[in-house]
Amino acid sequence: MTGVIGGAWLIAMIELRQRVRGVAWYVLLGVFMFVILCATALLVLATNALHSGGGGVFSTIIFLVLLLATLVSPALSGNAINGERDAGTLATTQVTLVSTAQIVIGKWLAAWITALAFLVGALPFLVFAVALGQVSLGTIAVSTLVLAAELAVIAAFGVGLSGVLSRPLFSIVVTYLVIAALSVGTLITFGLLGAATQSDTTYTYKSQTGTDCSAINVSYSRVPRFDHYWGILAANPYVILADAAPPSFSDRGQPQDLFTAIAVGVRQVQKAPPLETTYDDCAPPAHQPTPEEIYESAVPSWFVGLTIQLVLAAGALFWAWRRTDTPARRLATGMRVA
Amino acid sequence: MTISGGIDVDGVARSFGDVHAVREATLTVRPGSVAGLIGPNGSGKTTLLLMLATLLAPDAGRISIAGHDPVEQPREVRARMGWMPDTLGAWPSLTVRQTLVAAGRLYGLTQDAAGERAAELIDVVSLEPLADRPNRVLSRGQKQRLSLARAIVHDPDVLLLDEPASGLDPQARADLRELIRRFAAEGKAVLVSSHVLAELDEMADTAVYLRAGRTASADAVERSVRSARDWRIRAIDASTLAPALAAAGVPAELIRADNLGTLVPIGDEDQAARLLAALVGSGVAVSSFGPAVGDLEHVFLELNREEGDS
Repeated sequence: MTGVIGGAWLIAMIELRQRVRGVAWYVLLGVFMFVILCATALLVLATNALHSGGGGVFSTIIFLVLLLATLVSPALSGNAINGERDAGTLATTQVTLVSTAQIVIGKWLAAWITALAFLVGALPFLVFAVALGQVSLGTIAVSTLVLAAELAVIAAFGVGLSGVLSRPLFSIVVTYLVIAALSVGTLITFGLLGAATQSDTTYTYKSQTGTDCSAINVSYSRVPRFDHYWGILAANPYVILADAAPPSFSDRGQPQDLFTAIAVGVRQVQKAPPLETTYDDCAPPAHQPTPEEIYESAVPSWFVGLTIQLVLAAGALFWAWRRTDTPARRLATGMRVA
Repeated sequence: MTISGGIDVDGVARSFGDVHAVREATLTVRPGSVAGLIGPNGSGKTTLLLMLATLLAPDAGRISIAGHDPVEQPREVRARMGWMPDTLGAWPSLTVRQTLVAAGRLYGLTQDAAGERAAELIDVVSLEPLADRPNRVLSRGQKQRLSLARAIVHDPDVLLLDEPASGLDPQARADLRELIRRFAAEGKAVLVSSHVLAELDEMADTAVYLRAGRTASADAVERSVRSARDWRIRAIDASTLAPALAAAGVPAELIRADNLGTLVPIGDEDQAARLLAALVGSGVAVSSFGPAVGDLEHVFLELNREEGDS
């Protein structure tokens, strides 16, 4: 075998030939492109993109690619290893000179390339969005790279779980659940924990009578403390994507694309809510920070989330390798070698 | 003793939880010979073959395939061993040719070499008309032939064939038999598991009997070979046979009949020759005189009977 890479690439090629050969796959890609086409048309109208630039269109299409890939990818990769075992083709590959590690990596590469095909399918629309203007090179580069990394993570979860669990249907479902936990579960956990942890706040209102502001009205209430839990959101793939992209603000400090809007929202919750608020009718109005100022005053979190995800994905592949390696010493109940 | 190659298995055991699939297997297959692996369903044949094929590690005992240990040096063993599994899997979307090219590439052949080898093997297993059709259209017997071709794509020194004949038509069986004999003539060691004992009779030099995870000892096999077995006798005029048998001293209670003829238990070939001479001598027109079951089948049934008795 010509090196570790050669063997893994060979496995990936066999795997891709298996999957891509189907007409169904091309139909799926066609439907996907049609959906993106419709979305692009609507987004151009909604964001007035012909005048204000394609930032909104570009960022939303990237998110749609991530969404569609997370919906389709587990079904394609979540039975990569145990499905072959069921079909009786895994053992005949394992008695050849390719190692189990090469088989696992090759299948992951194939799953990743399949997911990247969605990005390629969305390419004409991304180019169109860039042509509308106002999309920086930094945004294009970073968001594409981070999206590719996220697709690699999803593919690794699918292939890894298909090596760890013996039943194909079960591993596909668990892959979906893992991805749902990251995409939706983080939001729910964040919301519930924040709402369940509340602090007392005091609101002091000095009302104006003529020129006199001595009448003081104090009220008490409770606010949710999302600032304790903002770290949970760092594990969300959409947040990682939005937070990683370079921000794009208007002259008045307003976010100009979906990435920036989400990043501002996520960074805003890093700040503790004010527990003592005073409003004085006689004092000049306090300065309200713009979204841009909020963004600048908080710390980015995307690389922490992405690093954790990459470690988990590598761990899933490693575990699958350990479970699939031959000669097998211990087998899970109900698992057959061949 | 293992330097010369072949298959050498000594005291191998393997269990799955509390199921002891193989308890104590010991066998040797020399290069240039064909051994039949015979045993009832669930006797551990497939588990034993999986261990020989580097897929399962034994709990105890020692294995040597072509001079290498499958646990310590799986790569060396894989390069020299071809395995045809009992479950017939083939990538459904690939064609027969692509499958064999892919298999050759997985064994380290270059694209060109793998292409040539695939064309050669398609000819060997007579799959030319289907060479460029996807595997999913193949029948069971055709998949069987593809699986055999895949197992020998790297021209291995040791061949492990798990039920290679099931699902094959008579012509394909004859071809398979000839192919296996040819492998042995080329110096390969071949271990074939099969239920079709008559089939093995015609190609195996030796036999390994496996029951309840144990290989039968040479003594037990020897005993079984020598135990009396039924010979089937047919005469032109069946009514002349019974008196002649009585005259030859065969007790009447041992004589049975089935739709094909009269069955008489006979201990060995000398006794058979004497009985035939006596029958012919007493004027019976004997048209057929031979063992009712093949050698392997006889031993197999005899060993199983012993098992039942003990």
